[in-house]
Amino acid sequence: MNSSKLQAKDFITIGIFTALLIVVEFLCGMLGYIHPYIVASYVILIPIVGSIPMMLFYTKVEKFGMISIMSVLLAIIMFVLGMGYLGAPLIIAAGVAADLIARSGKYKSFKKTILSHGVFCLWICANYFPVIVTADSYREDLIKEGYSTEYCDNLFRAINSKTISVLLILCFVFGCIGAVIGKKVVKKHFEKAGIV
Amino acid sequence: MNEYSAVNEIKEQTDGSETMEKSRPVIEIRNVSFRYKGSSEGLLSDVSLSFQEGETVLLCGASGCGKTTILRLINGLIPHYYSGEMTGDVIVDGRNIRETELHDLAGTVGTVFQNPRSQFFSVDTDGEIVFGPENIGLSPKEILRRKDLVVSEMRIGTLLDRSLFELSGGEKQKIACASVSALLPKIILLDEPSSNLDWNAISDLRESIRRWKEQGKTILISEHRLWYVKDLIDRVLYLSDGDVKQEWNGEAFRNLSEEKVAELKLRPITLEEKYIRAFTDEKGAITASKKSEARNCRFDTDKAENGPSGKKVILSEFCFSYDRKRSGGHLRKCLKNGTIGECDGLQLCIPNLVLPEGKVIGVIGRNGTGKSTFLRCVCGLEKRCPGVITVDGKAYKGKERLKLTYMVMQDVNHQLFTDSVKAEVLLSMEKEDEKRCDEILSNLGLLPYKDKHPMALSGGQKQRVAIASAIAAGAKILLFDEPTSGLDYAHMKQVGQMLQNLARTGSTVLVSTHDPELLALCCDEVIHIESGRVL
Amino acid sequence: MRITLDPRTKLFMVLIVSMVVLMPATTPLLWGIRICMTMIPILLLLSEKRYASAIRFLIFYGVALILTFFFLSKESQGILSAILIGYCGIVVQFMPGIITAWYCVRTTKIGEFMSAMQKMHIPDGIAISLAVVMRFFPTIKEEYGSIRDAMKMRGIMFGGGNALRMVEFRMIPLLFSCVNIGDELSAAAITRGLGGKVRRTSVVELKLHAQDVILMMLFTAALLVFVFFKYFR
Repeated sequence: MNSSKLQAKDFITIGIFTALLIVVEFLCGMLGYIHPYIVASYVILIPIVGSIPMMLFYTKVEKFGMISIMSVLLAIIMFVLGMGYLGAPLIIAAGVAADLIARSGKYKSFKKTILSHGVFCLWICANYFPVIVTADSYREDLIKEGYSTEYCDNLFRAINSKTISVLLILCFVFGCIGAVIGKKVVKKHFEKAGIV
Repeated sequence: MNEYSAVNEIKEQTDGSETMEKSRPVIEIRNVSFRYKGSSEGLLSDVSLSFQEGETVLLCGASGCGKTTILRLINGLIPHYYSGEMTGDVIVDGRNIRETELHDLAGTVGTVFQNPRSQFFSVDTDGEIVFGPENIGLSPKEILRRKDLVVSEMRIGTLLDRSLFELSGGEKQKIACASVSALLPKIILLDEPSSNLDWNAISDLRESIRRWKEQGKTILISEHRLWYVKDLIDRVLYLSDGDVKQEWNGEAFRNLSEEKVAELKLRPITLEEKYIRAFTDEKGAITASKKSEARNCRFDTDKAENGPSGKKVILSEFCFSYDRKRSGGHLRKCLKNGTIGECDGLQLCIPNLVLPEGKVIGVIGRNGTGKSTFLRCVCGLEKRCPGVITVDGKAYKGKERLKLTYMVMQDVNHQLFTDSVKAEVLLSMEKEDEKRCDEILSNLGLLPYKDKHPMALSGGQKQRVAIASAIAAGAKILLFDEPTSGLDYAHMKQVGQMLQNLARTGSTVLVSTHDPELLALCCDEVIHIESGRVL
Repeated sequence: MRITLDPRTKLFMVLIVSMVVLMPATTPLLWGIRICMTMIPILLLLSEKRYASAIRFLIFYGVALILTFFFLSKESQGILSAILIGYCGIVVQFMPGIITAWYCVRTTKIGEFMSAMQKMHIPDGIAISLAVVMRFFPTIKEEYGSIRDAMKMRGIMFGGGNALRMVEFRMIPLLFSCVNIGDELSAAAITRGLGGKVRRTSVVELKLHAQDVILMMLFTAALLVFVFFKYFR
């Protein structure tokens, strides 16, 4: 029972928290319809809101593979939901890296958990990949055909290959901040209620 | 190991010509003590039990007496899933549970759990029935054969190819039974399977158990509701404080006096059945007995007006349809003419209803006949319902209803938001008033838990926290949706008393229930809803 | 007429379409290919009798196309048209992917999907987790609905104007419910043999039919033509 290998129960837990994370992402994604600039602010919204389930998740499984599998699931679901395949390597890389970091702290060290969550949050940027790739060629095509680049819309202005590095850094920073907030919430509720 | 092979040998010898006494027990619990991880008290202390093949045994006793724990010992969830300190051995079908992996037991022991919502794994019914056989790696052909067998046996053909999320609780429980059946286990455990079911669903459940019994399976049922299993059981074990205190055979148990049953703090064995006969005859065919019962229960406008307190709560124009398109025109037509015939296609049609203020009013009726819809409309959750509530001559409509009323939901976990009982109550107050908060909490006996997390409390305590927050918000009408489902006798009595207290302090309490004992215990009036109409 | 496809074909379609949406069309031929590729999942949705969603997609995509082609030229000025161009651009660009994905998700049963995963040699652990994800979306929806009702009754829909509390009040009961359901679900699943050493089997037997092969070839060809005319001409 206490083996370090993932068991059926753990796979179920992973599935549940992946579902929760995707719901968080989609609810934040809804806001993106209001204005394209909000799309850029996913890097703040998702790490912070998503940190609450994530911090609970970190305390529930504590075995290597938990975050890696979650990232594979995210990649598969993003693909099936039409978000493209370009982000998959980034999602999985972020997941495996986050998993390794958390393992180095035996899933107990809070500092490592913060770092791990920060790294994991980089997956959010995978959502932008299709936009970035299109933005660059779209721009090119528009210029080629004589359109002024002014027509390039807000979305492409906020998210392109130049700003992606900033977005990645923001993701990481807010991932770390989110981890601290999420941990507080977990303490306030779940530890107090005796669930964790 | 030698012993086990000996067991098998004996079994082979006695096969065919065995009598109950001679055959070795299929389940043996030997001197087991168990304590859950993190709890200070031992739950089972030195329990030894054995069950013969083909026996149907009922485990009863108050909540927390160890019924569920015994089932978990047999299906292996203890010690493999729920950890704790365990001594002693459990032998099931010749295998020591401690040394057997959980998934290896799947073909031997099947378990039906309490909550139909949380025990299915798939999204569709077909997938759920074949889930077990797929797990143990049977060939697709064999799985399909078993599926067809189970489907025809249980007559659930109409449920196939449906989403599990659109099924009723009773239908879900049927699928859960089918899913367990498909693994063809020798032993079937049922852990309070009727808690969330209405009477019709319970009689379906009884049919399933009867079928398993005919097939010679060993069946263990842990249950609070005794009436529906009483004719099926061969033996009854009464548990208390982690040990078996009394034992009867089926016949002796059926003949227990009502006083004796009450003394043991068990739910009545026969009462419920009497009651069901009075209320669940086929729709439309109002029998004599029903009529006479109904007269007592039916709500009379005149009577309320002449009632002792004189004050009343008037509900008017409570009509509603889930079908968005139909609701507009139908509602108007229905309201204008006010006759029931005009209201076809509405899930709820109560043009006028007068309730006495400060009383406990039971709301009864079969599942899916509009009880929940009625409650949702009264408390203003269904915006499209035009209903108006008049209290003390003041009319409340639309969103105002939300402030006037409060519903304690069947799953009370959904309505607790904060990190302490105190904060939960303060959240409901417009101006935080600690003194009043303490007062409310002490009235409900929650003061000792003031700083605890609501989710750390027991089910009954959570219910009271929800009530405390409703009182703090100044709700005058309190609604309860099945507050006693799954409770044992003592807890049900507690709830009944609490409802009466609430009414005495001036709240009007509406309680939807299937629990006849609760009705008898605390309800001053009863309204019977059928197809969204008050009978 | 109902055309049913193998889940693998559907996944393949999603893959191809999500490749194509990343390459903006510039010539009429490329536009033609793109539009044809969008029409196929819409037609397939129609063949599955999902008229409402098919028509919704058709109108949405059509309007965006017409707006982009006929009404938003380089002369149009102003913020409104700039935003409109932005939206139409996004819709025209990414809608094909979303339509195909919708078709794939809506017409595939979980059992078929699991079986397809198994055929593609994806480990059981991932398949189990993924099945749980699918099962949990409706559960989360149900639970969240009840929580919203409870919040309405308490009058705390907006958390007293505090954004963090707004999130907290929704998230905390939801997480408690999900954890509880998860525990009970695990217990129920394990007693029915989940997690055994034997490889799971599946009653759904998948076979590639003629229509699968035709569609796969069609989509591959479309992709090749698209890439050829865009980059090598």
